[in-house]
Amino acid sequence: MTFFRFKTKLYPLIAIASSLFVIIFGLVVARNENLCWYLLGVLVWLCLFGCWKGVLKMLPAFIVFGGAFAGIAYASAGGDFSAALAMLNRFGALFLGVAISMSVSAVRMTRSLSQIHTPRAITLGMLISMSFVPMLKGEIGRVREAMKTRGAGSILNPKILYRAFLVPFVMRLVNISDTLALSVETRGFALGGSLYSIYKKEYPALSDVLFILGIVAGAVSVVVL
Amino acid sequence: MENTSKTTTQNVDVAALIENTLAMQAVVAPKQAAFEEKRKKREARDGDESKMFRRFKIKDIVFLAIITACTLVTSAIMPLLIHVPVFGIIQLGLGLQFSIFPVIGLMKVRKAGSMTIMGIFIALFLVMMFPPMALIAVCAVVVELLVFAIFRSYKNDWACVMAGTLYMPLTVPLLWFYYNVNYTVTGEENEAVTMFLGATDPWVIVGMTAAIVVLCFVGSVIGMVISRELKKAGVLKK
Repeated sequence: MTFFRFKTKLYPLIAIASSLFVIIFGLVVARNENLCWYLLGVLVWLCLFGCWKGVLKMLPAFIVFGGAFAGIAYASAGGDFSAALAMLNRFGALFLGVAISMSVSAVRMTRSLSQIHTPRAITLGMLISMSFVPMLKGEIGRVREAMKTRGAGSILNPKILYRAFLVPFVMRLVNISDTLALSVETRGFALGGSLYSIYKKEYPALSDVLFILGIVAGAVSVVVL
Repeated sequence: MENTSKTTTQNVDVAALIENTLAMQAVVAPKQAAFEEKRKKREARDGDESKMFRRFKIKDIVFLAIITACTLVTSAIMPLLIHVPVFGIIQLGLGLQFSIFPVIGLMKVRKAGSMTIMGIFIALFLVMMFPPMALIAVCAVVVELLVFAIFRSYKNDWACVMAGTLYMPLTVPLLWFYYNVNYTVTGEENEAVTMFLGATDPWVIVGMTAAIVVLCFVGSVIGMVISRELKKAGVLKK
């Protein structure tokens, strides 16, 4: 009965497939004037299915960069509105695709991939890469703080950038990597064909099927109408 | 009398159990010996750095994943660059970070397949930013084949530099494909795009490709210098 329930969190693999579909479809059909209505529909659809946080995060970036590049396209095409609209469509599709993929957490994605027997090295690497990004920002901040404390000077100077930023930063990365590897091994992660269990399995629900069907149906209507 | 018969029965059972265990041991012993021999061979092969194919350990995968995360963070400008219609702008914008970090990764994990693993990790994320660039994983395989054809392994530092130098420039044909499919050279939009693009001018293509290769070479050398320094300091342990 778990299939017949409405989930606010999308099934990771369906979310990624939808994200790819929106990006590729948007890039290919960018010059279709109806595409902007489709993208607006996808935006509403995403909000209905619980991806509104990702949409809100992406919206300012879309307005700034999409607007700027649409302006450039408009000017370079000699005042052609359709060129500007095509550029806006490309950005819209891209940012909506990213908004969908942002709604998927790294852990849930890893669980789903493990369920379909993806090699352990890939799932482990993906989990680390996805969850390491915020940590990386913190590390960069710490190295820069250390630079300030030591009075190292401007980061724009290549010599200072190399000596006071790059070398300590990579050193930190190596140390973090060693500690993380030890910690991962201690928790029983192993490569190769060793057996493993999945703590909490992810299953698609009816709402996930409805979500992707809505996106595909919209795309078909853009092409047909 | 009863106790004696019980003891005799128990002795028979124990003897049967011992016999059964010995029989099982006899069956398992060759398999165990073969497994031990295989394990020793694998350990010897993994320990021998001159060997081309060695098994990846958890710490290798973790380091390559972290290096990939660094490359991704620094390539966050990519979704913007893909809409700038100048030939090779993506590679020019990302060349430095896509050569420095992979070279550091290769100089720590000098195993066949390291570049491919990094390529796969990066492709999994780039597919969200710009699907054609996901083919960077294929470029990684091609680079690795080229490096192994020339250097046989990553033992030589310059093998890592070569891999880092060729990694990004190999995506230039992908970009050409993208321009020709996505910005189809028809219609009113194209007239503006062709002027702006430079993708139809062979000199622009050659010039941009040369610039990308030079940039990636510089990045790779920087990566090698950083790795050597860390190795000297004892941080970059294998």
